[in-house]
Amino acid sequence: MSHLNMAQIQELKDVMEEGFNDLVLTYLQDSDNKFKALKKAINANDCHQVAEVAHSLKGSSANICAEALSALFKKVEDAGRAQELDSVPYTFEKIQEEFTLVKAELQQLK
Amino acid sequence: MDEKPLNILIADDNQSDRMILCAIVRKMGHLVCEAADGNEAIEQYIQQKPDIILLDVIMPNLNGQQAAKAIKALAGEDMVPIIFLTSLQEASDLATCLESGGDDFMSKPYNKIILQAKINAFSRMLKMHNTLQKQRDVIRENNDHMRHEQQVARAVYDNVAHSGCLDLPNIKHLLSPFSIFNGDVLLAARKPSGSIHILLGDFTGHGLPAAIGAMPLAEIFYGMTAKGFLMADILREINLKLKRILPVGYFCCTCMVNLSFRRKELEVWMGGLPDFGLYQQSTGTIERVKSSHLPLGVLSSQAFDAETKVFDFLPGDKFYMWSDGIIEARNADSELFGEDRLFSIFEHKDSDQYFDKIINDVNEFVGESGRDDDTTLLELSMVEESVIGKVDIDLSSGAITGPTNWSMTYTLRDNTLRSFNPLPVMLNILNDVPALRNLSGQLYTLMAELFSNALEHGVLGLSSELKNSAEGFSEYYRLRSDALKVLSDAFVKFEFDLRPTADGGKLTITVEDSGEGFDYSHISPDSDKNIAYCGRGIPLIYSLCDSLTYLEKGNKVKVCLSWQTQFEE
Repeated sequence: MSHLNMAQIQELKDVMEEGFNDLVLTYLQDSDNKFKALKKAINANDCHQVAEVAHSLKGSSANICAEALSALFKKVEDAGRAQELDSVPYTFEKIQEEFTLVKAELQQLK
Repeated sequence: MDEKPLNILIADDNQSDRMILCAIVRKMGHLVCEAADGNEAIEQYIQQKPDIILLDVIMPNLNGQQAAKAIKALAGEDMVPIIFLTSLQEASDLATCLESGGDDFMSKPYNKIILQAKINAFSRMLKMHNTLQKQRDVIRENNDHMRHEQQVARAVYDNVAHSGCLDLPNIKHLLSPFSIFNGDVLLAARKPSGSIHILLGDFTGHGLPAAIGAMPLAEIFYGMTAKGFLMADILREINLKLKRILPVGYFCCTCMVNLSFRRKELEVWMGGLPDFGLYQQSTGTIERVKSSHLPLGVLSSQAFDAETKVFDFLPGDKFYMWSDGIIEARNADSELFGEDRLFSIFEHKDSDQYFDKIINDVNEFVGESGRDDDTTLLELSMVEESVIGKVDIDLSSGAITGPTNWSMTYTLRDNTLRSFNPLPVMLNILNDVPALRNLSGQLYTLMAELFSNALEHGVLGLSSELKNSAEGFSEYYRLRSDALKVLSDAFVKFEFDLRPTADGGKLTITVEDSGEGFDYSHISPDSDKNIAYCGRGIPLIYSLCDSLTYLEKGNKVKVCLSWQTQFEE
């Protein structure tokens, strides 16, 4: 099973045309940076920052058609807003697994 | 896309999201500018003046809601649709977005079709808004222009349809126009005999179209009253004038009264107005005075009836006049004030209170609902003539005023003949005679001919035959100029004699010059036979006056001009 919504990906490719590769690259780079920021916030137990970064990643992942990944970020965002970060390290691990798979699929699409 | 592309601002802190939005918007043919946070969004709004803004809610530094508030405040009357970009799900979050000035929202992941539909919808709205704004500005401009014009026109109007002697101590009045111009007109003037003429007119409609007819009406009213005309003559004249100038369906409901102090009578003519009230102190009762005529401006002169009613009017008696704006005043329930309410006011004992009580009762009745017509009210009381004093008639105009019996001699000698044109001075004096004012063009030509004959042929002895050829013409003017230089003991003398006649007046002008004269024995009183004497313009002079006579050796000519007095309109 694909980790991307392939019907949506097709639409996105139609919209972006030759800009699609740039978009993927930008998304991956941006996500890398935000991952670091998210990890830092989790370690610092900064609930507000956790929610903000997760919110941003949730949106951009949804836009890049990575629905499962987006759903995982939503869990983190919700936990941050609820100021209850206990489950977050576990979710974060799953996110890393999922992100690796998404990244691989995206790179294949280029 | 056949429309002008829009400029769309995309504010989102997430670069990849921004890229997708930019691609969608550009594909629609629009222009894009970008911002990565709220502060940048405001900055871009100021610089780029985008038509539509796509604004992410959660952004670093300044969030979307704060940016939206600032931008809406900057936009003022301009419409800037803001579409919030959000993955927020809670209804309360969405409500906060709209409260901060958002017009719509759109959730992630972005859907191309939905975004395009939203942009198109706002584009249509923007177009409509701009059209409305432009139309509003045009309307505002036109309205300002029109008000200005009306105010200038009002100043002219006020000078013509002035209120005359409404400030006399035996008159109380109220005139409250519904707009700048008043369809009601209230005029008062004293006759040379001391009587007072009052006219209340209510033109069809209100505002400028209603007021414009008041100008000729006032001219006739004041002009003829000052000359001592009777009410019937004035009404006849006004009716004729209004009939001629007002469009079909427009007329003037009118009441005119003549208060005679000597006869202690009130003479009333009423056409098309509601019943008025005549209070008689001896009985303490109010009598209804009814209209018995059609309004002015309806009937032809032949059909017009100027018959008046005459009432005894003793000191303490009062006459009340009002326009239908009083009777038709409406309260909040659209009820009319009505004649019954109005006449019941006169059951009150103290007749000095009536005027104020009418105003108060009508105002109380109308309350907050406001007036929708011109309202006019007047109270005319009978007093001893000594209370209001002697009549002060303006003598500056009028056919029976002005100098009517005088003579004058005006002699121009040497130097003056050389360079001075006496015509304007003479014409000015003649224009003081009102009846001659209408003839001033004719008089000017007549005097110009007489003067050039006397100077050129008489004093200078030039022959008009020279003027038959082009060379002769210039020779003539050379001789004229030479001869003028050496004038001595020369004169041209004008003698004016003005006398009244049974039905008008007669002006005799005698012009004598210091020249040799000429043989006028062949000049026929039948003007057509004198064409040959073209040099002296005799046929022209004949055509302008009643008689022309040469006297003595031909250096003296006498012309007569008579007229019948016509009263000005």
